[in-house]
Parts: sequence; structure tokens; C-alpha cells
Amino acid sequence: MLKDISLGKFIDTGSVLHRTDPRVKIVMYIVYLVVLFMVKSPAAIIAAAVVTLIQAVSAKIPPKVLWTSILPILPLALFIFILNLFAAKDGDVVFKWSKIVVTSRGLWQGTIMASRLIFLIISTSVLLTLTTTPLKISDALESLCGWMKVIKVPVHEMAMMMSIALRFIPTLIEETDKIMKAQISRGADYDTGTVISRVKGYITVLIPLFVASFKHAEELAVAMDARCYRGGEGRTKLNPLKMTGRDLVAGGILLAGAAVILVIEFVIH
Amino acid sequence: MSYTYKNDYEGSDIKLEPAVKDISLQVEAGSYTAILGPNGSGKSTFAKLVDILETADSGELEVFGVNTKDEDGFWDIRENCSYIFQNPDNQIVGTIVEEDVAFGPENIGVKLPELRERVDKALEYVGLKDKAKMQAAQLSGGQKQKLAIAGALAMKPKLLIMDESTAMLDPKSRDEFLAIIDKMQKEQGLTVLTITHDMTEASACEKIFVIEKGRIVAEGKPEEIFLDPEKVRRAGLELPEHISLITELARLQRVKLTKEDLVSRSSCLIKAAEIACSPVKATAKELTAARREEVDPDDIILRIKDLTYRYEKGAPTILEGIDLDVRRGEILAIAGRSGCGKTTLISHLNGLIAPVEGSVEIYPEEGVTISSKVKKDKSLFRKNVGLVFQYPEYQLFEETVYKDIEYGLKMNKTPEDKRKELVLKAAKSVGLDEDKLESNPFELSGGQKRRAAIAGVIAMDPKILVLDEPASGLDPRGRREMFSLIKNLKKQGTTVILVSHNMDEVARYADRVCYMEGGKLIRVGTPEEVFGEDNNIPKPLLYDFAYDVRSEIEKRKGYKMDFGPVGRNAVEEAVNILTAVLDHEEASVDA
Repeated sequence: MLKDISLGKFIDTGSVLHRTDPRVKIVMYIVYLVVLFMVKSPAAIIAAAVVTLIQAVSAKIPPKVLWTSILPILPLALFIFILNLFAAKDGDVVFKWSKIVVTSRGLWQGTIMASRLIFLIISTSVLLTLTTTPLKISDALESLCGWMKVIKVPVHEMAMMMSIALRFIPTLIEETDKIMKAQISRGADYDTGTVISRVKGYITVLIPLFVASFKHAEELAVAMDARCYRGGEGRTKLNPLKMTGRDLVAGGILLAGAAVILVIEFVIH
Repeated sequence: MSYTYKNDYEGSDIKLEPAVKDISLQVEAGSYTAILGPNGSGKSTFAKLVDILETADSGELEVFGVNTKDEDGFWDIRENCSYIFQNPDNQIVGTIVEEDVAFGPENIGVKLPELRERVDKALEYVGLKDKAKMQAAQLSGGQKQKLAIAGALAMKPKLLIMDESTAMLDPKSRDEFLAIIDKMQKEQGLTVLTITHDMTEASACEKIFVIEKGRIVAEGKPEEIFLDPEKVRRAGLELPEHISLITELARLQRVKLTKEDLVSRSSCLIKAAEIACSPVKATAKELTAARREEVDPDDIILRIKDLTYRYEKGAPTILEGIDLDVRRGEILAIAGRSGCGKTTLISHLNGLIAPVEGSVEIYPEEGVTISSKVKKDKSLFRKNVGLVFQYPEYQLFEETVYKDIEYGLKMNKTPEDKRKELVLKAAKSVGLDEDKLESNPFELSGGQKRRAAIAGVIAMDPKILVLDEPASGLDPRGRREMFSLIKNLKKQGTTVILVSHNMDEVARYADRVCYMEGGKLIRVGTPEEVFGEDNNIPKPLLYDFAYDVRSEIEKRKGYKMDFGPVGRNAVEEAVNILTAVLDHEEASVDA
């Protein structure tokens, strides 16, 4: 279960999106995020669905992988859907059973809210995590935020911290899994019992995990030292970020997709 | 010697309280040097001083002719030293394989296209070229260590320091790893400094330094060091398997070995055959083979029937059709390469994984059957089968050792008055002093932490104890102690199942071995059966050497002899060889 979390997982399919400059992807991701939250009409939601789908297809991500990244968020999406379903009281009544009233407006609002969330997750995976290595994301952030160095923000260090944090997610997940198994063998029970006893039970995982993390951090710091790490000054890059015409075109296309959604939202409706 | 290269380094009088004390040594450029010693003896501290990851309090250390205190030379030394650590996970910085290889060269400002060339060449050298774009986390342990070599190689170092780099690898991965290092040393004139607990690896080096409590207690060529078995043992080390056998033969035959005899494996082989072929001087009493206690082959305590496992439907099988009977009171070793399904198999034994196809049954007492097919019996599985994972010390969490050992008992609702007795008994059987029980587990040494963690499982008084690589990461003395602990548990009536990839230890300590490959059980039998047959199962080093010695003896004698199965350790095998020689001589005299 824990192993299925797609955060920080990169899958190389060699698609156009993989090769696109991560800075373009990050900027367009933010643009797309804003656009998604402006969408309210059914037509625009359909347009957003189409655009998201096109993104996913062009990234050549296997549907199964995409599905595993959406799966954990589905309960939340469902919750939001139901919440909105019953929250709205105006509009035509679609369904009525004693005190429970479902209106067409509620239905729409629920659908829109839930779809937004799902599109958001797909876009995060497709534009960022699945197609861009953590190191590239942090490189891009470092480059995009480079101007902050002027006001003494340690941009390089923060980017390095981020990429190491992402790099260690799979390791720590694996470790959590191992510790839990060991404690279960000793009689720990994480599934039954009251909420308080369960939360207490997790202490048996958290403490060893903290200890392990410190050990990782300590050893990694020495290893980085041994490999001559001395901050961002004078560092070269194996895969330096280079903005080419193709990246601009890709950016333009992504931007066009966002624009289409907005046009449908504001002009047609 | 007329080596006046800059990359000669001379150290004299490094003083560091208390990790390293008054060390003076010199390592020649292009040499392959081993540093041996028990855990916590200061080996790693010394190596870190060389790479200036630590600085000495007093004394001088020159690396490549540059003093480590010379600030201008700092980066010179670091750039020319590469370091490979024990845990591959803690030295990988990049998420993607090639990004990680590039990390070092990027730091020292190597520019494109040279950077790309270095990365590609390094990956090709270690055989990871096709995995360049893969996630580092998806590599196996052996591949991760190769990645670490590639990362070092891309720095074009003059000196390579390995800090127990092979400790976590299975024998095949270890051999592949060492072959790459050997090639680098020979082809590129690399100086190699290796810290290791692997005596066979050390015996192949050019020079050995033995460090104990921060001081150098012995130095010399491997043959000089291993000539004195007493001294080796006192320093907490042991002899490599082949030297161990020849030493035993020499002892029985009252022969004094010289260092020339031990120069290489082949010189050992010739000398061993020579000793064995000389008139037998060992007394009859010395030649009586050790008797082994037999366990009842029909008294089964655990039965695995047609067990198959896959993560999900349609996915490749992790385990396939495993059938295995475990006998009451035996030590059964499950051997095989990393990733062969050993850990998955043992996870089935106490219900951590519920069998989907096939079943696991245990018979803790006469007439009692607990089956994995009965869901409500799951807790009974946990009660009867104790499972100790690899590096169990990483699961400690309580404030005191006592509470940590008690945890399992608390969870299975053992009455409070009984708990104390069980905790004390468990602590005693793992050899943990009573005064340690009130200390914080994180203050204990590595070996003691592991004992405390094992005690936590033993306290629940399981009938069957399953241990996953119980000796990994321990030094030779620690390993010996761990196995004597396991033998003691057996004596007290516990059935022990242990997972290991060290074939020599398997042959030495297990009553039976089951060898796995690719999720399948290939062979089950006594070590003599499993390792004595002509099959593809990796052999213990002792077996390899013993067979060579036997055929060398036959060559000298000019006739075939019946040696019987190889002994479980060097002492037994020396007795076997001499007994066979004696028998044949008597037979030919009679004729």
C-alpha cells in the first residue's frame, strides 16, 4: 500500500513532456492550477478534462500508473462530492427522500469540485512528478527563484534540501514498511482498537523511523562531503537547463490549452 | 623503492583520543591495503582522517605528499580521494543513476562535454550503462554499490577508500564488486584502502594493518598476519577459510608453517597436500570425528505446502510452489542470493503475509495443529513463531532496554508478575547483562543493541525462532558470538530458521540447508548433501578449497581416495582428510 504513493516517483517514457524544460512545466503548471480554480461551467470542465487527457497521453504514462496516483485521492474526491451535493439548496430538486434533498446545483457543484481535484492530481503527476526527476524540479526552482539570491535567500541550499528529501521518500517508505512488519511480529496492532490506542501504536514506528532518519542524514552528509560538495558555487551540471525553441513551442501549446478553457468559461458562457 | 610520486602518503603519529591513538603508518601508491579490526576499533575514523572528513588533534598526516593540515591542499586531497561506504542508500544523492554519478564531478566543476564523457565511461566500466536513466532507488543492493563505484570512478581518484563496502552484499555481488575494484587498481594504478571484516578479501591484499582500540597492533603482508592464528583470534578476527584448513592440518601433523606457505591460495594448496601426504602424526584421539546430535526427521514442527505468492493477480511470482518441512529442534538455514524470496518466505511463517495459494501449518505441541487457513489462529502463529528481521536494532523504541524487551509481552497480555521473569530469562539467553536493562537502548553498542532486539522476540517464548541475517554487519567475533547464541537456543529446545547468504556459516552452523533461487526452492538437505553435489549452488569457500586439496592429494598418491563429505569447519575437514589418508595407507599395507 505505502509503496504505491506516486509522489517523487519518476517514470521515464522519453515523451515530449519528459524532454521539455522543467521551468516551462513548472510555470505552466501554476498557470493551469489557477485556470482550474476559475472554472465553473460544465462546458469548461469538459474542456479541462480534454486538456488534462491530452497532457496525460502526450506524457505516455501508462494508464495503470496514472490510476495508482489518483487512487489514494479518490476517497477525498468522493467526500468533497458528497459534501457539495448536500450543501447546495437552490436549483431544481433532482432527488428527495424525507429530509435529504439533492438539487441540480448541488450535483453540479459536487461534480465540478471533485473533477477539479482529480484533474489537479493528474496534472501534478503528468506535468511534474512522473515526467520530471526531483533533481530537475529543484534545478528549475533554483533557476526560477535565482533572483532571490540577491536578497540573500539561500536558493541553492533550499533546492538541494528539497531534492534530497524527495530522493529519500522511497527509502523511508521502505523503512517504515520494514519497521511496521517487525513491530507487528512483536504483537503491535495498527488496524484495530480505539483511535487513541492506534495513534499511540504508531509511536513504535515513529521513534525508530526518526532514529533511522538521523542516521541517514548523518551518513549522507559525510558522503556528500567526501564527494566534494561545497555548495552551489562553481558547480557544473550534467544536464544543464537549456531553453530551446522547442521548449517555447511546448510552453505555447500548454498555454493555449489553458486559454481554451478560459475562453469557454468566460466567453461562451 | 624509487617511487617519488606525489601520491605517496606518509602518516606519522596521528593522535586522536580515544578513537585513534599514536598511529604511524605508510601506504604506498598503487597498493591494495586492508585495515582490519573489530567494530569500534577506530578503523573508520582513521579512513576519515585520510579524506579529511575529520582532522587529527595531533600528529601529521600526509596524503599525496600534501599535509592534511595545509589548507591550500585540502581540496587537492579530497578530489583525489574517493570513499565508498557500507550502506548504499546513504551515499546516493541523485535520484537518477546518471545524476548520482555526476554529483561528484559537478561539485568540483567538471565542465561539459567532459562531464558527460566521465559519467558514461564510469557507468560502462561498472556495467550499469543500460540503467543510466533509471531511478537509483529501484536498483538492487549490489547494483547500488556498483553505482557508488561509478560515482567514485567519475572523480578520477588516485586513492579509493572502502569502508565495509561489501558487508551488505551477497557473495556473487561481492565478487563482482571486488572484481571491478581489482581491475581499477591494476589498470589505473589506483591506490586502494579497504576496511573489511571479510578475511578472504583481506588475504588477497598486499598489506594488512590490524587496528584495535585505536592502535595498530599488527601490520604486515597477509601471510605474515595469518601465520599467527592466536594473535589473529585475540584481535577479534579469524583466519580465511583456506588458511584455516592448512593451519589445522599443520597442527595435527606437527608441522610449522612458514609465511612462504601462505603467500597465495595455490601455495596453501600445495603445502596442504604435502602436509597431508607426509606420515600421519596425529593421534587416534585427535582423529575421532566430532559426533553430531541427530534430530528426529519425522518430528515436524512446521510444514509449508505448495506456497505461491505474488504481489497481485497476474504479477510475476515472488514464491513458487514452496514445499518445506521443518524438523523440531533443528537449525535450518534458508540460503540464496538477495531478492530470491527468502524474506517473503519467512514473512509467511508468522502470518505477516497470509498465504493466498498453499498453506503454512505449525505443530507446536503433540496433537496441536495451527493452520494459516484458519483466520482466527493468526495470533497463535505470532505466539509460536518469533520473527527477527535483519538489523533488528533499528526497531528499538522504548526508553529502557527492559521496557523494549517487555513490549511484546505487554501486547499479548502476559500477566505482569510473569513478565519480569520472562524478560530476565530472555536477556540472559542473549547474554545481555542485567545492569544494561535499565539503560537507554540507544546508548548500547551495535552488537548489544541487536541482542536487546532479539531478546524482545525471545521473551515471548516462541517455539520457532526465525532470524533474517542475524550476523550481518557484525565483526568476526560478533558473528561467532551470535552463532553460539543461536546454538544455545537450539539446546534449549527452540527450532531455529535462519536466513543467510554466507555459505560458510551456513555449512558450519546449520543442520539442514534449503537453497532458494528466483522464488523457487532448489534443494533441501544437510550441508554435506547440498554443497557436496555437483550443482549450481554457490559453495562455501571451505568446500572449494577442501576439494582442491583432496584432488591434489590424490594426484600425489596416484590413486582415488574416499574422503567422505567435507567437514563443517576446518577442524573437521582436517580430521577427515587425515583419516582418509591413514585408512588408505593401512589398506595398502594390508594388501
